[in-house]
Amino acid sequence: MMADDKISRRKILQSAALLGGAYTLGGCEQASSLLTEHMGEAIPSALRESAGAAIDPAFHLLSRAGYGPWPGDIERVKQMGATAWIDEQLHPDTIEDNAANLRASRFETIHLDGGTCFEYKKELLFNEMARQSLIRAIYSKRQLLQVMVEFWSDHFNIDMSKGNCVYFKGFDDRTVIRKFALGNFSDLLKASAISPAMLTYLDGNENKKSRPSDVPNENYARELMELHTLGVDGGYTQQDVSEVARCLTGWRIYDRWQRGKIYFAPELHDDGEKEVLGHRIAGGGKDRDLDAVLSIVCNHPSTAIHLSTKLVRKFVAEDAPEALVASTACVFTETKGDIKAVLRHILTSSAFASSAGAKIKRPFQFIVSSMRAVGADTYAHNDVLDYLKSMGQCPFQYPTPDGYPDRSAPWMAALLWRWNFALALANNQIPSVKIDTSKLMTALGAGESDEKKATILLPHFIGRKGKSAELAALSSPTLETSCLIGLILSSPAFQRC
Amino acid sequence: MAKSSRREFLQRLAFSPEEKGGRADVLVCVFLRGGADTLNMLIPCQDDLYYSSRPTLAIASPNKAKKGNESALKLNDFYGLHPRMAPLLSLYRNGTLAFIQGVGSDNPTGSHFSAQDQMEHGLAYGQNTGGGWLGRYLQQADLQHSPLGAVTIGPSVSESLRGAPSASAIKSVNDIQLHATSKEQSTITAALAKMYGADTSPLNKSGLDTLELLKRLNDLRNHPYRAAAGVSYPGGDFGAGLREIARLIKGDVGLRVASIDLGGWDTHFFQGACEGLQAQNIDVLSKGLAAFQADIVGCAAKVCTLVMTEFGRRTYENSSLGTDHGKAFAMMAIGNHIRGGTIYGDYTDLMGQEADIMGPGGLSVKIDYRSVLSEILESMDPRGHDKVFYQFKASRVGFINSTRSS
Repeated sequence: MMADDKISRRKILQSAALLGGAYTLGGCEQASSLLTEHMGEAIPSALRESAGAAIDPAFHLLSRAGYGPWPGDIERVKQMGATAWIDEQLHPDTIEDNAANLRASRFETIHLDGGTCFEYKKELLFNEMARQSLIRAIYSKRQLLQVMVEFWSDHFNIDMSKGNCVYFKGFDDRTVIRKFALGNFSDLLKASAISPAMLTYLDGNENKKSRPSDVPNENYARELMELHTLGVDGGYTQQDVSEVARCLTGWRIYDRWQRGKIYFAPELHDDGEKEVLGHRIAGGGKDRDLDAVLSIVCNHPSTAIHLSTKLVRKFVAEDAPEALVASTACVFTETKGDIKAVLRHILTSSAFASSAGAKIKRPFQFIVSSMRAVGADTYAHNDVLDYLKSMGQCPFQYPTPDGYPDRSAPWMAALLWRWNFALALANNQIPSVKIDTSKLMTALGAGESDEKKATILLPHFIGRKGKSAELAALSSPTLETSCLIGLILSSPAFQRC
Repeated sequence: MAKSSRREFLQRLAFSPEEKGGRADVLVCVFLRGGADTLNMLIPCQDDLYYSSRPTLAIASPNKAKKGNESALKLNDFYGLHPRMAPLLSLYRNGTLAFIQGVGSDNPTGSHFSAQDQMEHGLAYGQNTGGGWLGRYLQQADLQHSPLGAVTIGPSVSESLRGAPSASAIKSVNDIQLHATSKEQSTITAALAKMYGADTSPLNKSGLDTLELLKRLNDLRNHPYRAAAGVSYPGGDFGAGLREIARLIKGDVGLRVASIDLGGWDTHFFQGACEGLQAQNIDVLSKGLAAFQADIVGCAAKVCTLVMTEFGRRTYENSSLGTDHGKAFAMMAIGNHIRGGTIYGDYTDLMGQEADIMGPGGLSVKIDYRSVLSEILESMDPRGHDKVFYQFKASRVGFINSTRSS
């Protein structure tokens, strides 16, 4: 963990003083909820969210570069200005994140190395990873980092249900995905290439040449080019796949002593001369072959285009605007894969600004943004994971290496489960989630019996004034506030971002 | 849909009282957990080795039982059925039930977990890929996805469905509804209908489809389910589960794949023969499948049921009058488009106490289980099936009626 993640001693003492008898009253979770509330998780006493007919730009920014506004976030973005906010988000180490860290601190296995994880039950390892993702996405103030963690977790997808991946994904999440999510792409790629989880997931661990008759395992070599770098039409051939596979022979994971650590076994490496994408790699390169290959694929022009297309699709629109993809690819190339520069370019582009509401949230984003919008208090137990499962997006469970799709069509079928989640959340019926709608109502200046409840509440959730059809649908006088909020979270507008 | 002429229609009627051929839309997978001893279900009545290896457990061939004892029900000159499988006999005779003998995987471990896991993920031994075979199929097939496309009847979604676009584990149809009080139901659905009816985007259209689906489920719930005339499911979870699957199929809610388990097949001790532990399980299985098939009579043309297990059991009985883990087993396939009334696969290489590379005893695997599964998937979706089983070349079993009716 980074040093600045630590909660300062003074802050703990301050908060602990407020706690009083909470430990005896409600156990550990309630206690840390109280602590985190003191650390800035509370719903502000008043929310000024003036909204027009179009989606508010700050709301839009928070919905794409983050998981939607936490109550009070919009004012903060407006105060500091969008560019400054983006800049701050691009440097997550400068943002204190004590509340989220405190909530996530209950997960013991996410800090372990792969070898130690073998001593834990698979179910626990999986649950803690999935819950950590939810908790950080909901509570972290480093929102863009969390969004990019989700992005890279799909880009470098690892299904924890495959083989030993369940033991290694936590280490991968910490030392590959989270460490380099906003760093340099080539560092990220290198870390991923020799991550025990990736070596397991795409069979790199099986890729060896110890006898002349051994044929390399091409699984990782192919996905490296098809998915991680050049893209499927990126201009590589089957010959390139075979040659890359040869270069990467010999990377292994210890399975007894130092279990879970990786090493390079020269005797399992094909040390002959290779040719990858037109570049000659001299024989005798041993483990340096890996660096040679990664440098070739990182600097290939198709990689800049492939990565830019995916990022523009992620942040702007499903059908990525070509001009923005091209200019983003230039930034990627000029900065040699600086993810910060690329993101800044996309998030400050005019195509980004004019794309509000054009995307459909995936289930994970839907659940997290709902929790954020109402300022929920949760530790995301199995009841929340079950909703994600029924919607088809449980973290780290996507079976194929391409990661959960970033297109909307595959997600449309599961609206029923979204509605049920929304209604259950709003009615405080999810056992491991607590929400306080009255606090939110007060902050927004809406009374329980207010006829204009829907008019006041809608902008908070969707970033703009309600349209007449929405208001007509939500203005039934018998509608209780909890039900109204459930319906707003179920509305087509809230599925969009 | 192409219109068929009146003459064609009459011709079809003349050939078969029920629609033959066509394409199954719904696949029901029954997994017998524990390694079912199919040698005592599909009985090799002409094999002396079977009888000499199982002095206590063998089922007598037809008409050869000792006085007062039951014997196998004759299927053909070689095979007979366990007497508790009598409810399935008519399905075999009318050509909707086929057996595929000698099916199995290359799993050498003899471990239930490892063999089940491999099979549910649709892999070769040691192969490592995420997702279940049905999950990958649903992900790749050219299908309209419904929130109820993939359902496990049970406490958790089965591994075979992992990776499906939307998969749910339910106990009953009643589990699938809008979670709101009955007082709020109509207000909520009315509001949703207004909001999702406001434009015709794919998202909004999907919302309206979901509301329509809820209406149909409500109808299902509000009318206590009555199975087709004369059908009664066996008591217990398995019968109740099959009944819910029939209900979903008849309710036309977009079900594509249902999975259900029947446990208790790991009969190391006191397996029993015509009566006893395994016989009770066979009874539940057979009554359940027969009831299910009779219940879905109106929509049987689109349903196919597969019954599988992780491995068969050894030829010889052990000292505690049970059988130990073996290799190949017999799979069952039921459906109107199954070329039934036949036993596919050769009965060869039954071993006694000797062992081969895969271990001792039992039937050798002659048909990779993935060949059977991929043949089913191909008949359901000719485009999507080929990517489901990685690096696998299926060999044709031929148990599907490939003539497609319009």
